[in-house]
Amino acid sequence: MTASSPTSERSKTSSFRTSLPFLSISGLGVYAVLLCTLMTLGCRARTAIIIAVIPRTAGTNLWEPAHGGAETAALNTGTKIYWNAPTREDDFEGQIALVHQVIARGYQGLVLAPDQTLALITPVRRALASGIPTVVMSSELPIPAGGNLFYILNNEDSAARIAAARVQPLIHHGGTIAVLGLDPDIAGIMVRARSFEQYMTQLDPSISLVKKMGSFNFLHEQQVAEETLKSAPNIQVIVALNWASARGAIAAIENSPELRGVKVVAFDPDGTPPFNLASLDCVIIQNTRGMGQKAIEEIDAVRRGQSVPAVLKLEPKLVTRENFNSPEVQQWISMDWRAIPWHWSTTH
Amino acid sequence: MDIHGLARHTVALEHHALMPASLQKSPSTAPAPSLPRHTLARYALFGFALLALILGAIGIRTYLHSPTRGLPYHDAFARGKADEWRAFGGTWDVVKGAMRNDSDERGAKLITGSSHWRNYSIEADIMLLGDSGDAGLMIRSSWEEEGVNSYSGYYAGLRMLDDSLVLGRADHGWMETTHKINSAEPAKVRAFQWYHLKLLAYECQIAASATSAVDHTVTTTSIADKDCVDSGRVGLRSYSSGGVWKNVTIQDASRQDLADMLQSTPSHKTAAVQPAPADTFDDLGTFQSTAASQSLHLEDPANTVPIGNLRLYPFSNQASATVRGVVILVSPVLFIEDSTGGVSVSNFVGPPLKVGDEVEVVGKVHPGDFSSSLDPATVRVLWARAPRPAIAVTASQAATGAFDASFIELEGTLRNKAIGPDGLLVFDFDAGPQSFRALLRRGRGDALFQSLKPNSLIRLRGICVVDPAFTQNLTPFVLLLRSTDDIKILAGPPWWSTGHLVAIVIGLLALALVVNLLYGRIERWRLRAVLEERERLAHEMHDTLAQSFAGIGFQLEAIRNGITGDVDTTHQQLDLATNLVRHSHQEARRSIATLRPDSLDTKDLLSALNSAACRMVEGGSVQIVAVSTGDPRPIPLRIKDTLFRVGLEAIANAVRHANPTMIHITVQYRKNSVQLAVADDGIGFIQSTGMDGFGLRGIRKRAASISAALNLVSTPGQGTQLEISASLPPRATLVSWPQLIWKYLTEHRPHARNPH
Repeated sequence: MTASSPTSERSKTSSFRTSLPFLSISGLGVYAVLLCTLMTLGCRARTAIIIAVIPRTAGTNLWEPAHGGAETAALNTGTKIYWNAPTREDDFEGQIALVHQVIARGYQGLVLAPDQTLALITPVRRALASGIPTVVMSSELPIPAGGNLFYILNNEDSAARIAAARVQPLIHHGGTIAVLGLDPDIAGIMVRARSFEQYMTQLDPSISLVKKMGSFNFLHEQQVAEETLKSAPNIQVIVALNWASARGAIAAIENSPELRGVKVVAFDPDGTPPFNLASLDCVIIQNTRGMGQKAIEEIDAVRRGQSVPAVLKLEPKLVTRENFNSPEVQQWISMDWRAIPWHWSTTH
Repeated sequence: MDIHGLARHTVALEHHALMPASLQKSPSTAPAPSLPRHTLARYALFGFALLALILGAIGIRTYLHSPTRGLPYHDAFARGKADEWRAFGGTWDVVKGAMRNDSDERGAKLITGSSHWRNYSIEADIMLLGDSGDAGLMIRSSWEEEGVNSYSGYYAGLRMLDDSLVLGRADHGWMETTHKINSAEPAKVRAFQWYHLKLLAYECQIAASATSAVDHTVTTTSIADKDCVDSGRVGLRSYSSGGVWKNVTIQDASRQDLADMLQSTPSHKTAAVQPAPADTFDDLGTFQSTAASQSLHLEDPANTVPIGNLRLYPFSNQASATVRGVVILVSPVLFIEDSTGGVSVSNFVGPPLKVGDEVEVVGKVHPGDFSSSLDPATVRVLWARAPRPAIAVTASQAATGAFDASFIELEGTLRNKAIGPDGLLVFDFDAGPQSFRALLRRGRGDALFQSLKPNSLIRLRGICVVDPAFTQNLTPFVLLLRSTDDIKILAGPPWWSTGHLVAIVIGLLALALVVNLLYGRIERWRLRAVLEERERLAHEMHDTLAQSFAGIGFQLEAIRNGITGDVDTTHQQLDLATNLVRHSHQEARRSIATLRPDSLDTKDLLSALNSAACRMVEGGSVQIVAVSTGDPRPIPLRIKDTLFRVGLEAIANAVRHANPTMIHITVQYRKNSVQLAVADDGIGFIQSTGMDGFGLRGIRKRAASISAALNLVSTPGQGTQLEISASLPPRATLVSWPQLIWKYLTEHRPHARNPH
């Protein structure tokens, strides 16, 4: 056989050569598909259960304890907390938007202290329809508990009874009590008001009540208090159903020397109660820290298939100037929400 | 073995050569030759392009993730630009060269920067607008949302409540450390006074300093956070207070910068890490809070009149009235509103106002048809409160004037947008049977202005005014917008527009063209591969088979020459063997000739056929005449190859069977076709239907593969003529290219799996 001519040194792999572009293109395509798949899987991967906690607002002595309770429970149950709230307690639209966000993000649980009794019905129902276990805390909605909906409420009846028992020695027979801060937006406040009226009537049927609607603007509430006190000079006690009404009433009393004898019994302080002022008799506080903690524990239990009570009511606490500095009360109202201390040092 | 048996043997050898190397039993295979240069260049180019793509992607990612990208930064508020800032709550606007938040929302934020910034500082001049609350700067921020402490990062600010410089960390909760301001002033943090604030982050140390513009005292504080947030954006933030920021500067920071900042003031005792205070009270027992607190001494509410009643005041006798309402618009005109309506207030005396302030206004009443105005007036702030929500109405309702001077919300379809005088943004809307206009101060609106597309469905909130000074009587009412936050895009313009439809059609056509071009290219690659394989086989056969025959022939001659004596039978057998070898050699040469398309790439069809025919008849007496007529033009490779194969087969048949003296090859070029004719003067044959001999079946298949017309005429004793005509694609000219493209996309392509 003669030596092969150069022209005979042609590739035997011409079929491979023509298919190389195809292999390159299809190889790239395979890599691209693999990369996209990995990225998608990475995006979808969740390493922890996330439970959203949406109180009426944030950054106050009333709701940051709930944050602390939730964080503590999250640490114990291995879950994560998403904490956010509207910047105002009357911004129910902002709260609705947050609930929708929770549904869109696919969080595994929802804890909600509603800003408005009626407007939050639909968002909560949508969350339940999405399979999100939901705990409504502090104040209820007109949706019966059951299925994936649970309630952890303040025992408003107990709170009203405590207030009535506290008011009774402060008022003489036939006296007048001003009840400020009625707000149908918060169902718990209306339950509180009805229960208080009922208990006061039982204790002393001769007592008359002057009732005023309230808001979360304390200067406006101060004006309401001033006008109420002016219109009914024989008011001896003001029962303030929310803290804005309480602050407004205290300010109205302190600014008018002739009113200094009027006492204020208040609920739900979201600031430091000014017990240095004589006008403030006591405050009745919700156990929001306990609510936050129990809410997370309940959702975790539900996710594990355990049964939890549909409705749980936590007892409020009477706080006076005598027990205000006790460790228990301080823990109830502490704004330190951290479950684990941060390792900080101030260097300057 | 007879001639046909030898031919079959030759074909078998050809098939054997076509078998994959792994299936071939012959151990002697030629080594894999190297790739041709142009193919290597193509692969190298592809490889370089891929490498360049990967390196480019890495480079882009590195640049985007750079901790110093965009630094140093200085704001463009003086030029009215703030597109790079994003708001989370608050009412932010660029006013007089500074960024202003008029809202006392708790935790309003304005964010910019890169999430990859690590060691840097931000500083700005800051003024608080409220009489309580705080305002300051954020650093290393991420996960921002609307909410009180809804972000992860650090914040330093000046707080009036306790006259302190606050420095802390938010993680959707808040913890802080505070440092009393060093100042000789009794009220150390005051509203409407400028301070210079600087916040620096270096590794896990965060430092803040505040300098009073009045007495230039500097207060500094810092924290070391072991589990620090290590990178993030910057922001402006306020809590329960409005604020103004200007001269915002962000730059890279070093350890030395941190040391310089901390050494600039002597160290002071700092408070412990703690949550933010909510309410406090001083020694006098005066109740203070983080919200506004003041001694009200309000007027008797019985002296105030509902705003809606102002229209009933006398037209000519300018009486005074006292009203209370909530501020709904501050600029360009002050509007306040109560539950009965709204009123504009002009030429007023009073403190700076912001949306949401509840005010008491005393002024001269100018009753209007739909609303009134107070001019001049005195304004007193009662308290700050949450802004009133807008009343949702339809454009038809607003067009009646019933909501003049009121804060409303409505929807409309954007028809036009323009930049009006004094930098005012003007938007024209249609809403069913009504049209209206919306006006917005430019401020931070540039980005929004660019993003709004005509025919979008927009929801707007603003103050409805029917005053011809605004409407120019072009529309029944105009909406005065407060900020870009009052505009929400509900739906973009419908995607299905004429432009998009045309783009889709063009895109589909282009895609089809590309696909067809690719298909053609792939076909060409495949055909080239086949041709190259044939060439390889031809050379294989030349190198092995044909030369082996030659060798056999020589050996037989040598045997013949070596035989002595009378061996007639042996000589006859040797003659037969020699003839067989000669015949097989010729057949092999013909097969090789048919397999060698190497001339097709470089030669035209006629030349290639002429060359192949000459090789076929080499050493014989057959004359080859090759003629071309018409205007020669390029023939697509597939058609050329098919015509070549058919021509070769016809020539081979003539040589093999017809005993010609001359073979005439004619290639005729026509306008849209080419015809190949091969004629010989041989013995001819009797044509009958169903004749598949002489390779006619293959010829017919080849012709069908290119939709060519085939005509075969043969008469015994008068020779044979074969004609094949194939269509050619029309020449592309400027006028004919659309037709050409359409035809190219729609013409039927024969299913040419096997060009043989």
